[in-house]
Amino acid sequence: MIRLLEISNHTLFWYYLASNLAYLTMLIVALKTSAAHQRSLKSHRLSWLKESPLAPPITIIAPAHNEEKSIRVAVRNLLELDYPQLEVIVVNDGSEDHTLDEMREEFRLRPVRAVYIPQAESAPVRGLYRSEVNASLLVVDKESGGSKADAVNAGLNAATSPYVCIVDADSVLERDALLRIMFPIMADPKRVVAVGGIIRVLNGSEIEGGHLRRVRLPRKSLEVIQVIEYLRAFLIGREAWGQGNMLTIISGAFGVFRTDLVRSIGGYRSRAIGEDFDLVARLHRHLLGKGVDYHIHFVPDPMCWTEVPSDLKSLGRQRARWQKGLLDVLWPNRDMLFRPRYGRIGCFAFPYLWLFELFAPVVEIAGIVTIVLAACLGVLSREFFLQFLIFGYAFATVISIGSVLQEEITYKRYNDWQDVIRLVSYCFLEHFPYRQLHMIWRLRGLWEYLRGDVEWKPLKRKGLESAQVP
Amino acid sequence: MESIFEKLWRLGPAALVLKAIVAAIVANGLLLGFILLRRTYRKWYFAKRDARVFALRQDWDRLISGEIPYETWRQKSFDRRIVESIALDALEAAGAAESARLLKFLRESGLIEKRIFEARTLTGWRRMRALVALGQTRALEGISAMAEGLRDHDPEIRLAALRGLGRTASPQAAEEILAWVGERGLSVPAMPLQNALIQCCAERPQLLIPCVQHAEGPLREVLGRVLGEVATASLSLDLLQFVGDDLDELRAAAARAMSHAERGLAFDVLSELVGDPIWFVRLRAIISLGELSEPRAIPDLMRGLTDSNRLVRLRAAEALVKLKTEMAPIFQQVIATQDRYGLQAYLTALENASLRGKLEEELLACTAGNNAEKTRLWKILRTGVLLAEETVLAEFDPAKSAFLS
Repeated sequence: MIRLLEISNHTLFWYYLASNLAYLTMLIVALKTSAAHQRSLKSHRLSWLKESPLAPPITIIAPAHNEEKSIRVAVRNLLELDYPQLEVIVVNDGSEDHTLDEMREEFRLRPVRAVYIPQAESAPVRGLYRSEVNASLLVVDKESGGSKADAVNAGLNAATSPYVCIVDADSVLERDALLRIMFPIMADPKRVVAVGGIIRVLNGSEIEGGHLRRVRLPRKSLEVIQVIEYLRAFLIGREAWGQGNMLTIISGAFGVFRTDLVRSIGGYRSRAIGEDFDLVARLHRHLLGKGVDYHIHFVPDPMCWTEVPSDLKSLGRQRARWQKGLLDVLWPNRDMLFRPRYGRIGCFAFPYLWLFELFAPVVEIAGIVTIVLAACLGVLSREFFLQFLIFGYAFATVISIGSVLQEEITYKRYNDWQDVIRLVSYCFLEHFPYRQLHMIWRLRGLWEYLRGDVEWKPLKRKGLESAQVP
Repeated sequence: MESIFEKLWRLGPAALVLKAIVAAIVANGLLLGFILLRRTYRKWYFAKRDARVFALRQDWDRLISGEIPYETWRQKSFDRRIVESIALDALEAAGAAESARLLKFLRESGLIEKRIFEARTLTGWRRMRALVALGQTRALEGISAMAEGLRDHDPEIRLAALRGLGRTASPQAAEEILAWVGERGLSVPAMPLQNALIQCCAERPQLLIPCVQHAEGPLREVLGRVLGEVATASLSLDLLQFVGDDLDELRAAAARAMSHAERGLAFDVLSELVGDPIWFVRLRAIISLGELSEPRAIPDLMRGLTDSNRLVRLRAAEALVKLKTEMAPIFQQVIATQDRYGLQAYLTALENASLRGKLEEELLACTAGNNAEKTRLWKILRTGVLLAEETVLAEFDPAKSAFLS
């Protein structure tokens, strides 16, 4: 028993060290990459791109479900984006409120007979409407399919551009976000098949007329911690994975894909829990299986601002769902592991996800249990345990502060001193008890998935109107 | 006496962790210190710059006319940078007269000469900055210095030189860029090269033709794309050679450029390209045919309307709808294709252009043909369903008729 506990404690130590070293490596790669990205940005002038004949047409697909309070502002925001050839498709996904009526009134919608070819699986469509105010707006009114994937598929079936940009209707895109996210595609249209943008936390910021007026850090601790998490995940994680063409997720809140490719794999999987992750995984499988030379990019500067959960219950539910989504994708794709045919994805990205994302809550919770047991049985070296704890804490803080630094030297959206001080403070505070709670939520997600509980439950959100400046 | 590190080693296995703790704490301190110092410095710098910009702006006219001796600000690098950036920003938005005045100022104050010198002699980011600034001046005397930058071993310098040359938007710069890509091939990312060439070749697109003929591989694709964007009617005969080219991009470029060509020639070429095996070549050909806006294009547009690619069908439909001719006969031809995807594309284009009402009026007013035919056309327009399909649909529902399976 004692021997077993010793082995367990050592495993935990090495696991933790490896996970942090992986993140440290990613931090270094990300710092280097963003410096290069900043330099390359200087080669382009957005004003040229805005009128560039080389900019391919793009269709934005925004699924909306019961968004009556914010839909006007959200759609106006999308229509006002800077891009030469833009089509906006809003999918009213069986809303039970007045979402469609709001749009009808604001954009003077009239029924049309637009081309709709159901290549991707979706619930029945009730009608198609085009705006008389802005001809580039098409509204697809459909029955509820019970998932965002189903709604996006309906948009995909009506899209008429070679590229589609999937966004959340309740997110706020910066005006030049599309131009920025299309850089890699315009630079290498043959190889680049998808591009992911960065998602930032909207809570606390001020919005005016659908546009972000002032970026501020949220007031609630729980939301600030999520700001750090997002910075770490996007500015370090995705930046580094994207650099090695190993990006396995493009957030469903903001990503661009080649339309024909997404259609060729049947669009989003309607029953997928993490539909965004699932789509990218299927794209990798499809393209690697065919031996295609392709690239999936991440671009850190086209910003999409989204609301994050502000209470523990919603956050817990969201994180549990993410964990379910992870397992839901990794398990069916387990045959990709270590298969040379699937290149870096099969040899590095997926094994990393299995080891450091999927198993993380299991390992950490098991670790805590064995440490407690070892302490009770008197076999725990208290000195070593304390040192390990301090090391883990300090090391994890380095990564978090690194992500804040990355934000500081690149995009610097938090201008107030007060915000930066708070952000840095939370880099130290997020480890207790948030991290442990997070592990429990994730563990719960795994447990629910194994029990077959995969039902989607809506999160409590305040909506765009909460950030609206009066 | 034993050092701290020796003491740490003696601690045994725990030493590794202890050292890691020290390293992590030091790293945290350094990161925090860096953030703090950087913020403080930037705040101080921007306040100082803002004050100086304001002061210089007060005397701007006297400053660029030379009334205030150039020496008073040229000696101070901080002031010189501000004056230069204000002048270059003004140059971007200036009209012809103001541009000439600003360029004269930049020349007389020696700023251009200074930048040429820096672009030739400095290294690293200073040289990059000089190259871009030189391009912004649009002064032709700076082109040779920028061309030297193109031949540098550092890819960042090459990119900066390319940006600079692109900003001059002059044929001379295009000649330099094309000579360089002819020598070295594609040694920078395609996007900046395309941008620079589109800017510089707009005035004399014929510069591209010999380069496209001799280029190979990805460079040829890039040049083909640029050619497609900048081609004018004067190039139509030159472009004919690319219609049968092996490279898809070049055929697409030729198709695109044909919209500017002499009409007779354009129709023949575009008719051929509408049948190309590559979809984006067909797409370009259909768009160009649409831009010609001639009833002669109808047969080819009808072919596009029944294309296997959805985008080609949609663009063909848009082109058909925009033709300035009677719509009813076209609608009749659309129906005659018996292609339901084509019909839906046409109806979509009709709706998008808000021309549905016009077609309805034409159908009502149409005196040719018998009543049965008119009723048939009217019914198809209303339902969006070809008559052969009617049996499939149990009941009429305008919304449902849009959904094809």
